[in-house]
Amino acid sequence: MAKCLAHLYSDILSNGELMFQRLYRIADFIAKSMAYFGGFVLIAVIIMTCISIIGRGLVPIGLGPIQGDFEWVEFGVGLAIFAFLPLCHLEKSHAVVDLFEAAYPPLMNQILAALSDLLMLIISIIIAWRLWLGMLDMKSYGETTFILQYQVWPFYAACFIGSLTFVLIAIFCMYRSIREFFIISNNNDKSGETAQENN
Amino acid sequence: MSNFELALWSFPVLLILIFLRFPIAAAMLAVGFGGAYMVTGSPNMMLAQLKTLSYGTFSNYSFSIIPLFLLMGQFATLSGMSASLFKAAEAFLGHRKGGVAMSAIGACAGFGAICGSSLATAATMGQVALPELRRYGYPGSLATGALAAGGTLGILIPPSVILVIYAILTEQNIAKLFVAAMIPGILAALGYMLAIAIWVRIAPNTAMVRKRVPWAERMVVLSTVWPVLVIFILVVGGIYFGWFTPTEAAAVGCAGTGIAALATGQMSWDKLFRSILSAGKSTAMIFLIILGAGLYNSFLALTQLPQTGAAWVAMQDYSPWIILTAVLVMYLAFGCIMDSLSMVLLTVPIIYPIMLVLDFGMTPDDFGLWFGIIVLIVVEVGLITPPVGMNLFIINYMAKDTPIKETFKGAFPFVVTDIVRVIILTAFPSITLWLVWAIY
Repeated sequence: MAKCLAHLYSDILSNGELMFQRLYRIADFIAKSMAYFGGFVLIAVIIMTCISIIGRGLVPIGLGPIQGDFEWVEFGVGLAIFAFLPLCHLEKSHAVVDLFEAAYPPLMNQILAALSDLLMLIISIIIAWRLWLGMLDMKSYGETTFILQYQVWPFYAACFIGSLTFVLIAIFCMYRSIREFFIISNNNDKSGETAQENN
Repeated sequence: MSNFELALWSFPVLLILIFLRFPIAAAMLAVGFGGAYMVTGSPNMMLAQLKTLSYGTFSNYSFSIIPLFLLMGQFATLSGMSASLFKAAEAFLGHRKGGVAMSAIGACAGFGAICGSSLATAATMGQVALPELRRYGYPGSLATGALAAGGTLGILIPPSVILVIYAILTEQNIAKLFVAAMIPGILAALGYMLAIAIWVRIAPNTAMVRKRVPWAERMVVLSTVWPVLVIFILVVGGIYFGWFTPTEAAAVGCAGTGIAALATGQMSWDKLFRSILSAGKSTAMIFLIILGAGLYNSFLALTQLPQTGAAWVAMQDYSPWIILTAVLVMYLAFGCIMDSLSMVLLTVPIIYPIMLVLDFGMTPDDFGLWFGIIVLIVVEVGLITPPVGMNLFIINYMAKDTPIKETFKGAFPFVVTDIVRVIILTAFPSITLWLVWAIY
């Protein structure tokens, strides 16, 4: 039964290789585009802060700081961080303790990788789901920022795009690690078979 | 199971998840969420908190300094300042025994003044100094060990990302913490140079020396490092004199290193994109951990573990110094296997309130500064110890002909100086605090 399943999956894999490559390119493109977007938001925040500081320094000649500059910093940095999450996950940049990686058998490592990706997927969904509800709350309360008196919910909505991308990339990563799991277990099976034949 | 027991049990569970290679952030989020579920009997509390927690954490004004410092570090690596710093240090130290390696340490210290990350400092200085060290006949072990150790100066000499996080967690003044890190940072650089001096004397003929450079030429070379000085003064001085908030200072530093990179012609669109991706990935990694630590710590707060723990420790008759030693040894041990940032985020909210009730004969403010600097040094030792010392691997990766074992050996004397320095700074708090007292 297990062998039958494995053969079935090896069929799917050989046909799936092309699809995987295609999906990977799409995921890579989306994650990187989001990260570039986040980076340019960050650079915009830097430029705005510098202009605001210069304005504050030139108060004597009639200039002034940008109104509510630090609220823009908060929003810009928040937006950038949500935009950075997908790439971090796609490229496996999370902080992990690799101490025992070499000690575990490859199949166990792959199972653990798949479970990590599953956990990350659940987390990304919870973050997106709660962010969405948080946005609805902000909208219904009509919450505004302290200085600029802008509505808060559009800021949440902008960040939700990054959060949603994080979910999409997490789904892709889940698919990727399940795929790798079957490749490894398939290879294990094959090497097991050859060992038996040699006996 | 009482809430307190639940909190105690959450540590081993968390550690097991982390050792099973779950991302640290994910493990903290899962354990924090599950723990709160068990305490309150429903997921509602955490779910309600999460409505605003992610946006609130990511757009927190104090935390916004972190991506800016990370991007600043990326720009600094492009600015070519690492090469001019190394040349300047070589002009002064190159003619001494072991002088080229000492110059690498000096240049790392200088680079640390504009870069808040150890890995970036090690990687950048490695590129510049490693070929030069090999050309002068330094053995691979000394060359890679010295550069890996020098890299840790990146985080010890302000600005420093970990100090910023410590300051936020313990509500310390960031400017004072930066000032407090200055003398320990300089001591670290001197200690590493001393280790090199001893090494080349014990094992003679390990390295050639350069010709002595006349003073006039030294001054000319030194003058090329002025951008580093300007940026350092703007950032650290700006915070200290209250010209800007720390976040604004980071933005100014980012602009400064960016302009320096543009001015040297090192900045291309391609490199800008790569800097963004690299800073972005580290930013996302750090903020996921901050989010996880926030959730985990709010679970611990629910169980009142920090208060109960502090009360329990206060009741015991142990000398505060013994407890401090135990805490530092724990940090040292965990630092060898765990990433320093996650460790600080995870442990400081628990350990700090406990340490604060102990009497070390100083004001809470002074204690906060002193403890922060010592913890920073101790967790950074993990960067240059096997098995997971990231700096060792980064430098070793660049030195293709040096086996990793040689690098491990080469780092050993530097680890010894680190430990000696921790002992000295722990025994004499005034070394760290002296400059703070003098300035404030």
